[in-house]
Amino acid sequence: MSQFAEPMDRLIEALRKLPGIGAKTAQRLAFYILRSSAAEAEELADAVRQLKARLRLCSSCNNITDIDPCVYCSSATRSRRSICVVEEPGNIAVIEKTRSYNGLYHVLHGALSPLNGVGPEDLRAGSLVGRVQRGGVEEVILATNPTVEGEATAVYLAGLLHSLPIRVTRIATGVPAGSDIEYADEVTLARAMEGRRDI
Amino acid sequence: MIQHHAEAVVLRSWPIHEADQIISLFTRDMGKIKGVAKSAAKSRRRFGGALEPTTYVRARYTERPKQELVRLDSFEIIRSPLSAPVDYGRAAALAFFVEILEETLPDHDPQDDIFRLLIAVLEQTRVDSIWMPVTYFALWITRLLGWLPDLSRCSVCGERLAGSSSYFDAAFDGLFCERHSPGAGHGSVDGAAGALSRRAVLSADSLALAVRIFRTPASALVSEAWPRSRAADLRRFAVQSLERHLERRLTTAVALLRLGGA
Repeated sequence: MSQFAEPMDRLIEALRKLPGIGAKTAQRLAFYILRSSAAEAEELADAVRQLKARLRLCSSCNNITDIDPCVYCSSATRSRRSICVVEEPGNIAVIEKTRSYNGLYHVLHGALSPLNGVGPEDLRAGSLVGRVQRGGVEEVILATNPTVEGEATAVYLAGLLHSLPIRVTRIATGVPAGSDIEYADEVTLARAMEGRRDI
Repeated sequence: MIQHHAEAVVLRSWPIHEADQIISLFTRDMGKIKGVAKSAAKSRRRFGGALEPTTYVRARYTERPKQELVRLDSFEIIRSPLSAPVDYGRAAALAFFVEILEETLPDHDPQDDIFRLLIAVLEQTRVDSIWMPVTYFALWITRLLGWLPDLSRCSVCGERLAGSSSYFDAAFDGLFCERHSPGAGHGSVDGAAGALSRRAVLSADSLALAVRIFRTPASALVSEAWPRSRAADLRRFAVQSLERHLERRLTTAVALLRLGGA
């Protein structure tokens, strides 16, 4: 027999499915929602409903958006000559924070991951090739993570784009700004040395 | 609390909380363990790029009383998979090693032979050379786990198999001569006619190669040409043996199959 009433049990079970939420945290969150006002609970429920009802993928770049095409693809001020390829929609916000890139994006929604059964056909790479083939693009920047899976994805995409008359580049990796070389690991430092430049 | 300082290979990682990670680690001294790397996603000082699967590290960790998870204090990289180029093939091969070890090794059970096997194949797994280490690992791990049948004789009649083709089937342990192979009809291991059989042939060359693999270090085989077609039947035999004992399909074997080599 369950410890809680059925609606409470249902909410705890639903919350437990969220990443990083265990049984105890789910219980705590459920009790918090129970104690909050009806308006607050309704606001939360409505936010979840709206999220699912209004958000979709941009038909051009696969970013998550409430308008199609998304704000980046429909912007008149952004350069159409370059496309920055990222693994997840969240990566776009991080690159935008740098204010050093004003081109378009392409979101893969993952990376090649043999362990998780994600192969080349599961990536949204075909639409990237289509965008490049339609013309106007001069450079594709591969900004997948510097992990084994991210590197494998970058190499795979570079192979797909190889025959097209564009520049394909990979983001640099190296020592983080403001850090201490003493604490950099060997792989990162080796890559920083490989990617050194004249000053 | 007991502090350890051991050689280890990172198998997998899972994010928990804001920036912590749970790491599955195959250590030389303690076997497979799991531990928490606090603030691993934020601070690069203690772990750097060492939490990437298949990174060979010198690990400092602390066992805590009555706690299943150890506390991971710091890793020093001995060899990283990112020190060499990576493509889908190499990523699939590395993931294949990880998946098998994750699925087969019990926690806290030291396996020095398997640890040495892993280090040997990791060193040889390169973009242009994945099929030798994959074959070598698949065959050796099957043997070290005690799941490899006698390759020299038919499992039914005991006839010597060397010098001729032999047969295997996903549903049955062992190798068989033609007369006793699954689906061969009356007298076969399943007593059935061929129509429903999933039997496959293991060539005499591949059987001879298996014998060589058990007598030769991986580093000595890497100089030979290993196209994906070489010993594909032997790989399939080893993978089927593993999958039969695990009672499930290996996800990474499917990835290797996509590459045309499993």
